[in-house]
Amino acid sequence: MSEQTPGNHNQNGEGAGAGTMKPGYHNTDGQGIAGHGSFFQATDLSQEEAVKATDWVRKHVDRRTIDLGDRMDDVREHMYELEKDGQIIIHRITDQHEPATVQTLFGWDKQVPTKQLWHHKSCGQCGNIPGYPTSLLWFMNKFGFEPGKDYLDETDQTSCTAWNYHGSGIGNVESLAAVFLRNFHQAYVSGKQHGHDLGHFYPLVHCGTSFGNYKEIRKFLVESAELREKVTKILGKLGRLVDGKLVIPEEIIHYSEWVHVMRNRIASELQTIDVSNIRTTAHVACHYYKMVHEDAIYDQSVLGGNRTAIITSTAQALGAQVIDYSTWYDCCGFGFRHIISEREFTRSFTMDRKIRVAREEANADVMLANDTGCVTTMDKNQWIGKAHNQNFQIPIMAEVQFAALACGADPFKIVQLQWHASPCEDLVEKMGMSWSEAKKTFQEYLKEVEAGNIEYLYNPELAYGGKV
Amino acid sequence: MATYAEMQQIFDDIRGDFRYDHDLNGCLNCGICTATCPSAQFYDYSPREIVQLLWTENVEQIYDAMQEKIWACAQCMTCAARCPFKNSPGGLVAIMREVAIKHEMQSAKDVLRPFGRVMLKLITTGNQLSPDMIQPDHFPDWGPNIQKVEGDLQVLRKAIPVKTLQTVETAWEVSLKTSVEMYTIWEMTGVLKSLELMDENLFDVIEDFIDEKREDYEDWLEEQEEEDDE
Repeated sequence: MSEQTPGNHNQNGEGAGAGTMKPGYHNTDGQGIAGHGSFFQATDLSQEEAVKATDWVRKHVDRRTIDLGDRMDDVREHMYELEKDGQIIIHRITDQHEPATVQTLFGWDKQVPTKQLWHHKSCGQCGNIPGYPTSLLWFMNKFGFEPGKDYLDETDQTSCTAWNYHGSGIGNVESLAAVFLRNFHQAYVSGKQHGHDLGHFYPLVHCGTSFGNYKEIRKFLVESAELREKVTKILGKLGRLVDGKLVIPEEIIHYSEWVHVMRNRIASELQTIDVSNIRTTAHVACHYYKMVHEDAIYDQSVLGGNRTAIITSTAQALGAQVIDYSTWYDCCGFGFRHIISEREFTRSFTMDRKIRVAREEANADVMLANDTGCVTTMDKNQWIGKAHNQNFQIPIMAEVQFAALACGADPFKIVQLQWHASPCEDLVEKMGMSWSEAKKTFQEYLKEVEAGNIEYLYNPELAYGGKV
Repeated sequence: MATYAEMQQIFDDIRGDFRYDHDLNGCLNCGICTATCPSAQFYDYSPREIVQLLWTENVEQIYDAMQEKIWACAQCMTCAARCPFKNSPGGLVAIMREVAIKHEMQSAKDVLRPFGRVMLKLITTGNQLSPDMIQPDHFPDWGPNIQKVEGDLQVLRKAIPVKTLQTVETAWEVSLKTSVEMYTIWEMTGVLKSLELMDENLFDVIEDFIDEKREDYEDWLEEQEEEDDE
């Protein structure tokens, strides 16, 4: 007799029979299960027919090959129509951007540009976790990218303002759309002052909140002629139209997608430290894969394609251990408003649902994330746990910081771990580096900084439109 | 307490938002949204309840939910990712918050008061957060060692090898021209007006700041013209 637990598929003719089936059992013993109660009729299927009829139950449903029909719109198709109608200009990803093709949730192709990138910074990262952007730029330099040609970091950009919107309700779709279009117009034209064509630099969004917000706002813009008309007036007043048209990007690209497509090159060309002894857990930002979820990257070779590939793919490529934990799907507790004015929620949630679980279930050496809010929340709220006898801690950082460490980046000068509150020193030591030595070297460097001898990843003049 | 007509107007404003039909498509009361909601674990808040109130057009209880419940939502959008009807309870909450502000609801004023410092930073600089805000005296619950190297904040920021990040009062350096462009966006989209409804004193401070920055920008433009003439 087969093991009959709920969900098992009984195919050997030993089913409980009509009228005595238990929930979850699939009776294929030929006695029929069509209808319920007085409507019940035997199907009289043969064993072979019954198996065939229920094949779909056993079949692995792959979201990347499923036919969605009219149930899911690809916003890009509508963008191409609008462009054809002469209503918008699409900032295209071209061969010059050396794109890599990946697949998103429903198997759609997404082009991820790997070069000629306009760094669209994150207010939380820059203000609080600067090792995010520095590690990213450091990688680009390591790959031989030329600042001012292969990437640009400049002052003409604002926050997406979505943190504020989600937190306070101050703002609206129009303001979010205008900010999005203003920033992305600047990305489109930014190459000119450095002697390049329009569209040379493609925006690389550092922040998870910005990524989710921009994807959502792009959909609204494409769908609503009224919204386009309203913001066209604003962008016109700012001088931010091209040939009288709005510029909308072909793809919204998150920095962690760049790391994802570069992960094998990072591991094969740059990695210097063996991290096979490191137990990593992943927390992917909600606004990366839960907002406009059809645009997040999934890869059959990463977690069976059942979860977004971001972060885990990088840890795998580096050879670290990837450890699962039961609350992987939970948010971090950031809450936008909550981390500022209702911190008891934020710290309770992050300690109970993320840190505790990653520690007790996974015994993790590090939790890797890909967004400002998540890293801040999980990193900064561990100390207060002691007030409730929650004496457990885990180093928190972005996957790009972990990757930089694995490639020999300085924990202070480049990875900027001095801004983290969680015990990152434990991870650094386990990776075979001396935290105290690195700190001592950095403190010496601070004296140089005070004397004006500052090391840069690119010529500072570039930030203001200057030449290399 | 609002009159029924006022509550009806509030509901009409909510469903008048063009996102409403995106975000509300029906409801089976399955509760998947609430089961996966972080805020539901800590507050008297349920995304399923919000959807049901809107779906059944219960204007009085919608008004009631806007007094406090809608502000519990963490805006993670997990509910939206899970809903079999492709509803977005979090998106509906965002609309309700906007409408609460438009109607000058006291709940919105109370909830947003502690947010003033962030609002001032964002509206005037285009940055939400800055290094000088993340200091132990502002966040005592983050512990005494929120940085692992002690030292002057300016020097520590200068030790970041990226020019745009060597700032203290903003997360990154934003050009004056960019900030002035943003002020135009705030004005033309009614954001400054919303702010005035919520906190008149904060609005006055921001308005003065914006005037000052615009004058600085005009001066800079004049200087540029003079340089070009030379």
